Amino acid sequence: MESIELLLQGFGGALTPANLMWVLLGCLLGTAVGVLPGLGSSMAVALLLPMTFALDPTAAFIMFAGVYFGGLFGDSTMAILMNTPGQASAIASTFEGHRMAKDGRAAQALATAAIGAFIGGMTAAVVVVFLAPQLAAWSANFGSAEFFALALFAFVATSSVVSDSAVKGLASLVLGLGIATVGIDATSGTERGTLGVPEMFDGISLVTVTVAVLALGEVFHMAARIRRDPHAVAMRPSGRPWLSGAEFREAAPAWARGTAIGLPFGVIPVGGAEVPTFMAYDLERRLDRRRARPTFGRGSIRGLAAPEAAGNATTGTAMGALLALGLPVSATAAIMLAAFRQYGLQPGPLLFDRAPDLVWSLLASFFVAMVVLLIINLPFARIWAKLLLIPPPYLYAGITMFCGLGVYATSGSRFDLFMLLGIGIVGFVLRRHGVPLAPLMIGMVLGPLAETSLRDALLSSNGDYSVLVGSWITLLLYGVLLLVVLLTVRSKIVSRTRKDV
Amino acid sequence: MSSPTGPTPETSAQLQDVPPPVRTAVGTDTADRGFWHGRSGLVLAALMVAFSLYLVYGIVTMEVPEGTDFPGPAFFPTILVVVALVLAVLLVLHYLRSPEVPEAPASPDGRTWRTHSDWTSVAWCVAGFFLFALTLEWLGWILAAALLFWFVARGMGSRRPVFDVTLALLMSSAVYLAFAEGLQLNLPAGFLGGI
Repeated sequence: MESIELLLQGFGGALTPANLMWVLLGCLLGTAVGVLPGLGSSMAVALLLPMTFALDPTAAFIMFAGVYFGGLFGDSTMAILMNTPGQASAIASTFEGHRMAKDGRAAQALATAAIGAFIGGMTAAVVVVFLAPQLAAWSANFGSAEFFALALFAFVATSSVVSDSAVKGLASLVLGLGIATVGIDATSGTERGTLGVPEMFDGISLVTVTVAVLALGEVFHMAARIRRDPHAVAMRPSGRPWLSGAEFREAAPAWARGTAIGLPFGVIPVGGAEVPTFMAYDLERRLDRRRARPTFGRGSIRGLAAPEAAGNATTGTAMGALLALGLPVSATAAIMLAAFRQYGLQPGPLLFDRAPDLVWSLLASFFVAMVVLLIINLPFARIWAKLLLIPPPYLYAGITMFCGLGVYATSGSRFDLFMLLGIGIVGFVLRRHGVPLAPLMIGMVLGPLAETSLRDALLSSNGDYSVLVGSWITLLLYGVLLLVVLLTVRSKIVSRTRKDV
Repeated sequence: MSSPTGPTPETSAQLQDVPPPVRTAVGTDTADRGFWHGRSGLVLAALMVAFSLYLVYGIVTMEVPEGTDFPGPAFFPTILVVVALVLAVLLVLHYLRSPEVPEAPASPDGRTWRTHSDWTSVAWCVAGFFLFALTLEWLGWILAAALLFWFVARGMGSRRPVFDVTLALLMSSAVYLAFAEGLQLNLPAGFLGGI
């Protein structure tokens, strides 16, 4: 098997002492940020993105993998202990996980989550290793029309399927797409929307937008709420941090089912890991109702195990989709794509040919990151909980300082700092009114791809729009998209009528 | 065994024996809050309109080179403007038909506020960042970042200004040492650098 051989070479690249240190550092930092209340893995990646530019690409991405998965681990730790999920994908874990913690089984809950995340992530990494090269080879035949269909798919799926309000999701998407058009147009060399300001000729930096929307806007949001919301009560992790044989046997099928649900979702761009986590949770609840003694509502170990496995399985295969297709399906993946671009690398079919060392080292580092995370999370969860002792004012003051640091360090100009502040305020307004921010990020990242492929397709056909549906791949993509939208509309109507009854 | 659901905000408020008058006052107050109550989301529609005006200005002033084939550089922004305006109309309709009143969590001391967001706190943070951006290159990283830290901590409710000054300077110096000296990132030394 060629994949195994390449993966082994990748391990060779990833397991150098320096790279091991970056994985470890990434895992520690990611977990630390994920653990902090209200902060999720996308904020961890956004804050650390500018820091990694001091490293060489391989080390930077290996560190990223650690941060990304570390953020997820930390996030579910806090979802369980404090009932404060940092992002939507950890919400499903709070229901049963937090009940387990309240019930005095915090340590077992953390172990269930960590092992579930490990199983899901590992399985996903194996799948990616074997399928990503095939996916990349297949998508190498894609032309402009196919890429436009793919981008449109990601846009519609993330903005309307995942968010509660399609209008708000689309508004967020349009803002992102619009921001991406600022700067010099790549096809014709025309200045667009720059107001003649030289700092804007290169466009608005993705780093600035990412940090503004995901970190600074979040700080403003916390500022608006911190003195008004009663504080959540921290749970003290106590008891044995391992699972008994019976508990393990109880959780095992849920881990497996969760992983199976999560895997395909990383490749279908329906946005982030929240859909599969909720699906996995729901499936376990339905199964639980049929048992002689239902455990849901009283801290069910299965209700925690399944969404954790599903979430990490999706995250893993999402990285595969990012590498093979260049298609980010979540805000975090969008930031990773931005990082690739900073190094002049374009994820997608050609990456496997052009930078095989990087790709395979990155894939190998997924495995390493999983193992490292299991080691630092299982026994030390109670130490992580100590981070909660930082008083919130200092915590957020520190985060704000890092926002400024990151953006100034990458751009070296005060103009970007003012831009950061302005977009941060916009991000806060969006957050305050329940507008999802992931579509903005995805619009910003995929906007240029969508625009150039649309224009290239139309240019080559002399303005004939039928070229957009000219091949079976585009028809297939639009067909699936239509199906997904119809299913969403149906489930929304069903849930609305149920509410009325 | 108690019921599986935890204490709701209401029951915990009763346990703490909070005098109810403030709460009932809110109840009667909501009716008189006027048009804007729950409709502040209209600012989203305003944002979309402002953004599309910006794009329109960009399209109008764009200098497209001669002989550019369809679709030119203005093609994509034009689509965005149309979609943004349609979304703005839909947002206005949404907020007119169904105002979104955020759930105000029961505050421990039973206080209520006129606005959902704590604008004083936000203003401290925004002002801090603005000053930081303004003075960074002149004051240098250590002083400007300490200023930022102090403002945000203050805005977030810290009530120990003197201790905060020390902590802020400690933090900004630590960051400077780690990133400017350690990782060779480009941070301004400011006028302190000349000494």
